[in-house]
Amino acid sequence: MADAEVALLVNYLVVGAALVALGAVGFVIRRNLILMFLCAEMMLQGVSLSLAAWGRYYNDFGGQILVLFIIAVAACEAAIALALVLVLFRRRGSLDVMAWQELREAELPPVVDREIPEMPAEPPPAWPSLPPAGRTPCVPREETEFRPHV
Amino acid sequence: MFDIPFLLVLVPGVCLVATVVTAALGPHILGPRSHWPVVVALVIAAAASGVLVVQVHHQALAQWGEGRPADPAAGYEKIVTLWQWASIDDAHYAHQGDRFRIEVALRADPLTAVMLLTVTSVALLVAVYSIGYMAGDPGYWRFFTYVSLFVFSMTMLVSVSNFVLLYVFWEAVGLCSYLLIGFWYQKPAAAAAGKKAFLVNRVGDFGFALAVFLIWTTFGTLNFHDTVDAAGHIIGGVLGQSGLARPEFWYAPGWTLSAICLLLMLGACGKSAQLPLHVWLPDAMEGPTPVSALIHAATMVTAGVYLVARCAPLFVASRDVPPIVAGIGAATALVAAIIALTQTDLKRILAYSTISQLGYMFLGLGAGTLAGVSAGMFHLVTHAFFKGLLFLAAGSVMHAMGGVIDLERFGGLRQRLPITHWTFLIGCLALAGFPLLSGFFSKDEILSAVYERGLDGRDAQWYYVLFWMGLATAGMTAFYTFRAYFRAFWGPERIPPEAGHHAHESPPVMTRPLVALAVFSAGLGAVLWLSGALEQFLEATPSLVFLATHPAPWVYNVVEGHGVVPVAGTLVALAGIGLAWLLYVRQPQWLAQTVRVLHALGLYQFSKGKMFFDEAYQALVVAPLAAFARTCARWDHALIDGLVDAVGALPSTLGRALRPLQPGIVPFYALAMVLATLVLLGAMLW
Repeated sequence: MADAEVALLVNYLVVGAALVALGAVGFVIRRNLILMFLCAEMMLQGVSLSLAAWGRYYNDFGGQILVLFIIAVAACEAAIALALVLVLFRRRGSLDVMAWQELREAELPPVVDREIPEMPAEPPPAWPSLPPAGRTPCVPREETEFRPHV
Repeated sequence: MFDIPFLLVLVPGVCLVATVVTAALGPHILGPRSHWPVVVALVIAAAASGVLVVQVHHQALAQWGEGRPADPAAGYEKIVTLWQWASIDDAHYAHQGDRFRIEVALRADPLTAVMLLTVTSVALLVAVYSIGYMAGDPGYWRFFTYVSLFVFSMTMLVSVSNFVLLYVFWEAVGLCSYLLIGFWYQKPAAAAAGKKAFLVNRVGDFGFALAVFLIWTTFGTLNFHDTVDAAGHIIGGVLGQSGLARPEFWYAPGWTLSAICLLLMLGACGKSAQLPLHVWLPDAMEGPTPVSALIHAATMVTAGVYLVARCAPLFVASRDVPPIVAGIGAATALVAAIIALTQTDLKRILAYSTISQLGYMFLGLGAGTLAGVSAGMFHLVTHAFFKGLLFLAAGSVMHAMGGVIDLERFGGLRQRLPITHWTFLIGCLALAGFPLLSGFFSKDEILSAVYERGLDGRDAQWYYVLFWMGLATAGMTAFYTFRAYFRAFWGPERIPPEAGHHAHESPPVMTRPLVALAVFSAGLGAVLWLSGALEQFLEATPSLVFLATHPAPWVYNVVEGHGVVPVAGTLVALAGIGLAWLLYVRQPQWLAQTVRVLHALGLYQFSKGKMFFDEAYQALVVAPLAAFARTCARWDHALIDGLVDAVGALPSTLGRALRPLQPGIVPFYALAMVLATLVLLGAMLW
């Protein structure tokens, strides 16, 4: 009985460790922002799996409860992270993580291994002209912040 | 109520209160009424000083009876100890058990009383005059604040009873002098003059400070008076009665005592503008004229004279120093008189005349006899009045001439400014030593004292030479005084354009103090000399009784010879006045020839250039010091700053070396994170 339990635990742990390792390797070697994010999620799932396995092994629900928490937090985090990715993509028109090097020291040159095509220049915003009554024009927010090409 | 301790505290106290009130309320509330607290305080102070003189005189007479006492320690003094400032046990490095005690103690004795009355009465008249002179000045309240602060400091200076407090108020009057010279601080010349006065005085004060240190190590006390400790032992003061009673023990002659006296004299030279530290006083005339009258003619500059008179027993005991004091005094008197001969700035003439008259006082003090010291003090009192008068009259001229004070630019003012003219004439006659005016008596006393010393005794020839120098100075004094008088008030009327079309006599608030001072200048000398009151009164000062009862053995006391000096003095004064009249009124064409001859001889430029003292100091003192300062600055920049910069450069160099670790590449950070986790994991599993 005990042997069967241990064998089951080991199986789960091996799968969990494989998920974490694959996620870590993918996080390091991939440059696509979305894929990097998915790799991080994969690591998280590996940890969740091993937590669930340990909970089953010790017959303790703590592990499973913690997994539920992790899933909830991961959902929030995914929403924020994907929103960030979207914003970043809007800025540069690329998902390549190497497009973001602003945190380097001021005098270091940026590492450029692949040219990122320049964004087409934004057309100058067309402001509405002053109405004859002399009121300040009421410009909708979308007029100034909306970028038509994304 | 009007007992001596109360009066002693009252005199400086009201001035301090007036200072605080004027400073606090002056700028916003009092405004153009800022003079009221000061004038009221000075009236009270002058009245209290007068009562104090009467009280001290009364007490001294009660103690003595009539005539001179046989006991040297029987002079009259009253000590008022207010509080203890500092007390340190076993302070002396050699004498076990000596306590360093500084008490805020005031003393009343005839010397102090005379000084107090002189200071407060001149200050009162000058303050009243300033109401007119300073009217409309944006710094009106500031002026009166400084003046009352000065009177407070000066009255404290003459009434404190130990050397430390004397030094404190010595510096305080120096500060007031600095503030008032630089009163119009927007004027670069005034600011520079204030700085010069302060710096030159530092030299003298340095000597004074060293003297105080030496007095402490020598006498083990800094008090003038004797004090009684808890056990009932008398601790002898430097000038205390116990010390004066056994002078052979207390004033041991030797190099230490001579050094103390010479250093005290250095301090006095700085404050009283004696050679070689006299250069600040002529420049101090950049201040407002009432200040020149009060501080730089009548009172503050006599602090040095007061100091030497106060320490007279020390000077007399040191034997070698009085001839040096007299020599410095006579040399200063002569040099300043020579310079004054050719100056054209009316106030500068008076400034050099002040230096010269202060030299006279030191000449009298240097005689080392009671007659000499009391003659010096007598001259101090009369000089305070007539020189104050001359300065205020010059200020009145300046007021009418729109601020112009150069004798080249105005003249013939005697019809325009009748009161100023008459009072100035009285001041001139008093200064020139015209018979029966106050300067005549006091100058005659000094010359007599020196003449007596020149007859016989130690250093007789030296004093004989000094007497002739003094006499020559008297002649020159008469000449340059009346040169200024004739050029300003006689001849064709010339008025500078600055005066406008309405050059007129000053308002009554200015002329009345002039008249009062003129009355004092004319009559004070005769009254004091004929009654002999001042000398008798001063003799009741403990330290001066000592001179009378312990005449130094090398002083040959003679009573004859008095007749010669006044006659000689009168003749010389009349000759000087006559020569000035001849050259500036009667035969002006002779003047040009005389000047041409003197010019050819180089004497004219020598006098006009103020004997090139300033240039010499610039070359010998200021320039080397400035060069030294520049060298130090260069070293400072190169070495000290270099070290500091090196320490500062260290972190930034280190930072530059580590900077490639921040490439800003996200995968790099991810790899670093993963590797670090692996390392951590490995360390945990190890």
